Amino acid sequence: MKRKKIIIIAFTTLMVGSITESCNKLTLKPYSVEPVGNFYQTSDQIAAGIAPAYTALQNIPDGNVNQMNEITTDEIIVPTRGNDWYDGGQWQGLWLHSFKPDVFVDGGWADLNNGIGKVNFTLNILNSLPSKPSNIASINAELKVLRAYFIFQFMDMFGNIPLVTDYNTDPSKVTQKTRAEVYAFLESDLTTNVPLLSTTVDKTTYGRVTQYAGYMLLAKLYLNAQVYTGTPQWAKAIAAVNQVINSNKYALNGNYFDNFSLADRSSTESILAVPFDNVNIGGNNWEMQTLHYQSQLSFGLSGQPWNGFCSTADVLNKFTGADVRKNQFLVGQQYAADKVTPLKDTQTGLPLIFDPNITTLSSATDAFRLAGARNIKYTPQAGTSGNQSNDMVIFRLADAYLMLAEASLQNGDAATALTAVNKIRARAGATTWIPTDLTMASLLDERSRELMWEGWRRNDLIRFQVATGTHYFTGARTPAKGDDGDTHTFLFPIPSPELNSNKNLKQNPGY
Amino acid sequence: MYFKTLLKVSCFALFCFFVVPVMAQNSAVTGKVTDSKDGSPLTGVSIVAKGTAAGTVTDVNGAFRLSVPASATALIVTYIGYDRKEVAITGSTLNITLDPSSTSLSEVTVVSVGYGSQRKKDLTGAVENLSAKNFNQGAIINPVDQLAGKVAGLTITQPGGDPNQNASVRLRGQSSLSGGLSPLFVVDGIALDDPNQFQNIPPGDIASYDVLKDASASAIYGSRGANGVIIVTTKRGSAGRTTVSYDGLVGASNQSKYYDLLTGAQLRAYGATTTAGNLGSIDKGANTDWQKAITQTAYQQRHSVSISGGTNTFNYISSLSYQNQDGTVINTGKEQIGLRFNAEQKALNDKLDIHLGIQNVATNRKFIDYNNFSYVFNAPPTYPIRNADGSYNEFSDFNQENPVEHINSEFYRAKENLTLMNGSADYSILTELKIGALGSISRNDIETRGFQPTYADQGNRNRAGQANENKDSYKGNIHINYDKSFGKHKISLLGAYEYNDFRYDAFAARGAQYLVPAQLDNNLGAGVSTYNSIGSYREEYYLTSFFARAFYNYDDRFYVTGTIRRDKSTKFGSAYQVGYFPSFNVAYRMKKDLFANVDWISDIKIRAGYGVTGNEDAIGVYKTLETVAPGNNFYNGATGQYLSSYSVNQNANPLLRWEERHGKNIGLDFELFNGRLSGNMNYFNDETTHLLYDYTVPTPPFVYPTILANVGTLVNKGFELALSGQIVKGSKFNWNANGQITFIKTTITSLAGQYSFAGQTYQLNSDQIPVGYAQGRGLSSNPITFLKPGYSPDVFFLPHYTGVDASGNQTFDGKTIAQVASPPGHYIDPSPKFNYGITNSFDYGNWNLNFALRGVYGQKVFNNTLLDIETVTRLPGNNVTREALTNGIKDAPVASDKWLENASFLRMDNITLAYTFKNVSFASALRVYVSSNNLFVITKYRGLDPEIKTENSAGGNILFGNNLNGSNNTAFIDANYGGQAYYPRVRTFVLGLNISLK
Repeated sequence: MKRKKIIIIAFTTLMVGSITESCNKLTLKPYSVEPVGNFYQTSDQIAAGIAPAYTALQNIPDGNVNQMNEITTDEIIVPTRGNDWYDGGQWQGLWLHSFKPDVFVDGGWADLNNGIGKVNFTLNILNSLPSKPSNIASINAELKVLRAYFIFQFMDMFGNIPLVTDYNTDPSKVTQKTRAEVYAFLESDLTTNVPLLSTTVDKTTYGRVTQYAGYMLLAKLYLNAQVYTGTPQWAKAIAAVNQVINSNKYALNGNYFDNFSLADRSSTESILAVPFDNVNIGGNNWEMQTLHYQSQLSFGLSGQPWNGFCSTADVLNKFTGADVRKNQFLVGQQYAADKVTPLKDTQTGLPLIFDPNITTLSSATDAFRLAGARNIKYTPQAGTSGNQSNDMVIFRLADAYLMLAEASLQNGDAATALTAVNKIRARAGATTWIPTDLTMASLLDERSRELMWEGWRRNDLIRFQVATGTHYFTGARTPAKGDDGDTHTFLFPIPSPELNSNKNLKQNPGY
Repeated sequence: MYFKTLLKVSCFALFCFFVVPVMAQNSAVTGKVTDSKDGSPLTGVSIVAKGTAAGTVTDVNGAFRLSVPASATALIVTYIGYDRKEVAITGSTLNITLDPSSTSLSEVTVVSVGYGSQRKKDLTGAVENLSAKNFNQGAIINPVDQLAGKVAGLTITQPGGDPNQNASVRLRGQSSLSGGLSPLFVVDGIALDDPNQFQNIPPGDIASYDVLKDASASAIYGSRGANGVIIVTTKRGSAGRTTVSYDGLVGASNQSKYYDLLTGAQLRAYGATTTAGNLGSIDKGANTDWQKAITQTAYQQRHSVSISGGTNTFNYISSLSYQNQDGTVINTGKEQIGLRFNAEQKALNDKLDIHLGIQNVATNRKFIDYNNFSYVFNAPPTYPIRNADGSYNEFSDFNQENPVEHINSEFYRAKENLTLMNGSADYSILTELKIGALGSISRNDIETRGFQPTYADQGNRNRAGQANENKDSYKGNIHINYDKSFGKHKISLLGAYEYNDFRYDAFAARGAQYLVPAQLDNNLGAGVSTYNSIGSYREEYYLTSFFARAFYNYDDRFYVTGTIRRDKSTKFGSAYQVGYFPSFNVAYRMKKDLFANVDWISDIKIRAGYGVTGNEDAIGVYKTLETVAPGNNFYNGATGQYLSSYSVNQNANPLLRWEERHGKNIGLDFELFNGRLSGNMNYFNDETTHLLYDYTVPTPPFVYPTILANVGTLVNKGFELALSGQIVKGSKFNWNANGQITFIKTTITSLAGQYSFAGQTYQLNSDQIPVGYAQGRGLSSNPITFLKPGYSPDVFFLPHYTGVDASGNQTFDGKTIAQVASPPGHYIDPSPKFNYGITNSFDYGNWNLNFALRGVYGQKVFNNTLLDIETVTRLPGNNVTREALTNGIKDAPVASDKWLENASFLRMDNITLAYTFKNVSFASALRVYVSSNNLFVITKYRGLDPEIKTENSAGGNILFGNNLNGSNNTAFIDANYGGQAYYPRVRTFVLGLNISLK
C-alpha cells in the first residue's frame, strides 16, 4: 500500500515536469536577428539585402587589396621608423617581394571573398524566393558583374583561385581553376550580363554597377589578357573601353583633385566609386596612414595620424613642369593650419620637413621619422581622425583614356593613343606630348602619375613587364630591393589559413 | 499551464505559511552546542536521543532542535575533533559545550553535493568542503578571495588591483577554448546566471563552500557542469535568543611595486650624451613620476550587521553590508550595499519546511579607460603635470597624453543591481519520502554611463553615452527524495525536473560634440545629431532538465552513487536538442576490514568515479540559425540616405552541441593519528570532446572564414594532494596547518575532424590558431600565443633571443632581423607546473596568528610592457626603464623569448594577528585583528606582479568599446598598450573587529 503511494507520488511529480515542459513550446525565439527565410519580403528589404555585396567594396580602395597592389610596387613604401611600422616585417616583406603564405596575404583573400560570398548568398536567396522581385533579371545581372569585379581582382592577385559561383557548393569539392579558365568564365559572364545593366548615369545609380562600370571591367580583363592567357586582346579591349568613352556619359573633371575632394560625389569622371562618410560609412583612412603625427595641426584633424605610407624621390621625380598632380604629395617644411607657423616633430624637436630621399627600409634615426613624401590626393578632412568622407575611386574616365591609349598603341594605332594621353596631360597642366614622347615606358609612367596609389600599379607593372620584357615589377628598386630572380612573385602565395581549411588547394609555384 | 503562474502560486503559498500560527511542540528540545574552550558555535554536531532513532545536526550557528520521544532521557552528542558527550534531558533548552578531543572522525559534517547533501564520510566523488572557520581572512571584499589557495585543484587569480575586475576562478585546468572556464556557482540551491555575479555577494554572508571537483560529482549539473561546481551556502538563522553581530574592517592599500622608469634627472643625463647635448623641446623643466602621479593611498571599509534568531519552528537571519573600496589608481573604486534575508518556517508537525531567501546587492563602480596606463610609460618625466597657473599641462603625441588630466576628467560609472529571490517548500509525505519545489528569480541590471571630454591639444570631439543591460532568469524545480535504511543497507534516491528561462537585453545611446561638457551624459540629445547612435538587443533561451540520483551504502563501508541528467536547451542545434550526462562512482572505506588493528589509521577510503559533463557556454543563443542582421551602412544615391545593409551574419551551424568532458577520478581520503593528520589525494584524467571553436572554413564557398563547430579534443590530467594537521596541541598553545598542492597538465590533442551535415562532409582543420598578440608600436599583427595540437592552450611561439651583435642589433638564433626578416619560432608552454597553498594558524592563549602562503611554480609570463619600454629607440620622447640604457639593444623591439619571463611566485596572501576577549559583559564574542594582504611576493618576474590574467577574453565595454576593467587582456601577456593594460596590484593593511552582542 505504502509502496504504491510512493510510486504514485513519484510518477505524479515527473508528470508535472513533463506537462510543464510539453505545455510550454520552448522554442528559440529570435528578437534582434531575423531568420533568413523571414527577410527579403519587401522591396526595401531586398534593397538592403543586395547592399552587403556593395558594402564589401568598402574594404577595397583603402584596405589590404590596395596595399597588396601598391606597397609591392615603387609607388608606396612603408619604412620601419624606429619602433614604428615593423609589424613582424610585413610591410618590408611587401616592398621586398619576400611574400610568405602566413604574412599579410590572407587579408586580401578574405576581403575579396567576402564580396564573392555575399553575392553568391544574395543570388541564392533572391532566386529561391517564392515570389521573386519583378526586376530579378537586372538584379541578377548587376550582382554577377559586381562579383566579376571581385573575382577579377582575386584571380589577378592569386592566379589559381577556387572559383565558386553557387552558394550551395560542397566545400569539400572546391578546387582551383587556372587563370585562363577564370578568364574564360569572366569573359562569358561579363559579355552576357553587362548589356543587361542600367545605362542610367545619375545619382540613382551612384556607387552601383552600371553598364559602363561593366565595360570598364571587361576592358581591364581584355587589356590583361596576355598576362592571363598568353594571347593579347587589344582590339577587344579597345571595343570595351570605347563603350564607356563613346557613351558620352562621363567627362574629365576640370580639376584633377575633384576626383578625390570631399565633394567628389559630384565628380563627372567617376564610373564606379565607393561611398564613404565620416559618420555613416567608415573605412577611408588615407590621411591617417600617410600623414605624420604633427600633420594633425596642418589639417585640423581630431587625432594624430600614424606616420606610415609614403613615396620615394623616384616617384616624385616622375612629375615635371607644371604638372598639378605633383601636388598630391607633401614634401618639405610643414606648417600649422595657419600656413605660416612651421611645425616641429615634438618627439625629436626636428623641423617637420618631409624628405622623399629614402635610402633604407628601416632606421631608428630621428630624421627617418620624417622620411618620405606623403600623399594627400584624398583631401584630409578637418575634424576627423580617419573615416574621411571622401568617396573612393574604383573606375574613372581618366583610366579609360589611358587604357584606350595603351591598347591602341599596342594595336598599332599611335595616333588614337596620343590623343587619349594628351587629354589626361592637358587636364593635369603638363606639357602636351608629341608622337615621339609616347612609348610603352612613358605611358607606364603616365599611368603612375595619374593613378598614383589608386590600386592599379602592380597590375600595370606586371602587364607592361609581360608585354615588353622589362623587369618593371620584379626588378631592383631603391631602397633595398633586388631583382626577384623569376616571375613567381607575379602571384601572391595562397595564404596558409586557406591551404589549411581547404586541403584541395595547391600552393602557387615558387612558394 | 504556464510556469510563471506556478511560480506565483508557490510564492503566494510561501507567504501564507508565515502567518500560520506556530504549533506547540511538547517534546522538543532546542539548544546550542559550543566549543568549551573559545565558546565558538559548532556546526554539524550530531545529536541523537539515546535509545531512539531521533537525531539531528546543529546548524551553522551551533543551534539544534530535536523532537524527542517521551521515553528518551539523554542526548548523545558527537562531533569530529571533540569528545563524545551524553547529556541528560533536563529541560526543553540545553546549552551543550564540547571538549576538543584527540580523536576526530568525519562523523557528520554535512556536505552539499548539489540538489541534496551527504555526510562527509559517505562522499563518493571528489568534493571538498570549506566552512567559515577555514576561510582566508583579512581584507576580503570579493568572496572568492576566501577560497584562494585553500582547495586543491581550485585556482583563483586576481588579474590586477582593480576593485572592479573579476578574479578568474578555475577548477582543474582549462576545459574549453571558447566557452566559460569558471565553475558553476550555486548559491542556496540556485545556479547563478553568470558566475561573476557571485563576486558581488558580500563575503560575510557566506557560511560554507562545497566544491564539486570531478565530473562524477558535477555531472548532476549536466551541460553546465564541465568546469566543476561551487556550491555556496549562506548563513541561516537558528532557534534561540536573537543574536546581533557586527563584522567590520577599515584599511588602506598602496600599489605594491613600480617599474624602474627614468626620472627627469636621469633622462636629462641621457640627453647630455646625445649629439644635441640636451633634450631640446622634451625638457620642460619638471621631474614627474607619472606612475605615482596616477596613484593614491586607497582606503577601504567594510561593515556588516546581522540579526538572527528564531523559535522552534521559525528562524531567520537578516544582514546589511556596506563596503567601499577605493582603487589605488585615482578616480577608480567600488561601493556596495547588500541586504539579505533568509527565513525558514516549519509547519504541519515539522512535515513542511519552507525556505525563503532574498538578496539585493547594489554596486556603484568608478572606472577609467585602461589606455591611460600606456600614457604613464610614454609621458617624459621632464613634463610637468600642471602648468604654473594650475591648469593641466596638455601634450599630445602618438599614444601620449597627460594621464592625470585624462583620468581625472573622464567619467565612467556603472550602477549595478543584483537581486536574487528564492523560495522552496518541502513536504515529508512519509518519513522516507519527501517532495518539494523550488523557485527563483534572478535579476541583474547594469547601467553604464560615460563621458569623454574634449582636450584642446588633441582636437577630439567630446562624447557621452549610456547603456543598460538586463540579465534575468526565472528558474524552478520540483523534486522527490526517498531515503530508506534496511538493516545495513541504506538507499537514497532523488528525481527532479528543472526549468530555466534565461533572458538578456541591452540598450545603448551615444552622442558627441556637446556644448556643455559639465552635463556629462545627462542630456544625451544635446549633441550634434549626426553623431547620435542608438542600439538595442534582446535574446532568450530555455534549458529544461530531468535528472535522478541513486545512492547506496552498505554498512558504511561500500558506497555506490549513480546519476543521470537529461538537458534540453534551445541553444543546441536541431539534431542535438537533448543531451544525457551520466555518472557513476564507487567508494570503499577500508578501516573496518583491512586496518581494524592499525591504530594510527583512523579512517581510510578509496574512491573511483566516472562522469560526463557539458559546457554550452560558447554557443551563442542564435548560433544554430541562419539569420540576417544589420551590417555596414550603404549609400542610397536616389534619396541621399545612408541605410543599413542586411546580411547573413554568421556561418550558421545547425549541428551545434555542448562540449563534453569525460572525467575519470580516483581518490583516497584518510585520517591518521586519531585525526591529527587528515587529507585526501586525487588523480584525474579528463578529456573534453566536441571542443567548440571558431574553426576556419574555406572561403569560398562560405561567406565567413570561420564556423563555430564541435571538433577537437583536449585533455586535462592532474594530481591533487591536500593535508591538514594539528601539529602542536596543548592547553595554551596550538598549531594547526593545512596545505594543498595541485599538478595540472592541459594538452590540446586535436583541432581537426570530419564534420558532416546535410549529406556534405566538411573537413575542419586548424593547425595553429593565433590567439594572443604582442602589443606595441611596430608590433601589429604579431601573434605570439597559439592553440596548437600537442601543446597546452596559449602556447607561446617565439624566436629565441641570443644577445646583440657589435652594433646593438638583436640576434635570434644567431641572426639579426636584417639577415632573416622573420626569425624562426620555438614553442614554449607558459602554464604552471603546479600550484600550492599553505595555511598556518597558531593559538597562544587569546592570541591567534594566521598566515596563508600561496604559490605557483613553472609559470611564464610575456612581459610585453618591458618589450615596449625597455628600449633606447623610444628616447627621448617616450620614457624607458633604466635597464634600457644598459641592455645594449639598439634596434627596434622584436617579440622574442627574452621577454617571456619566469613568473613562478610565492605570495604571502594574508597574515592576520587576532586577539579574542573572553568573559566580556556585553558580548558573547569579541575579536579584534590586524591583517595584511599581499605583504610580499617572492618572484623573479620583472613586471609589477607575476599573477596576471591566464585566460583570454575579448570585447570592451558596451558604451564605447574601450577597456574599462581589463576585459580585453589576453592570457599570459602582460601588456600596457593597445587597450590592454595591467592595473597594478596592491598591498593592503586592515584593522578589523568582530562582535556578537549578548
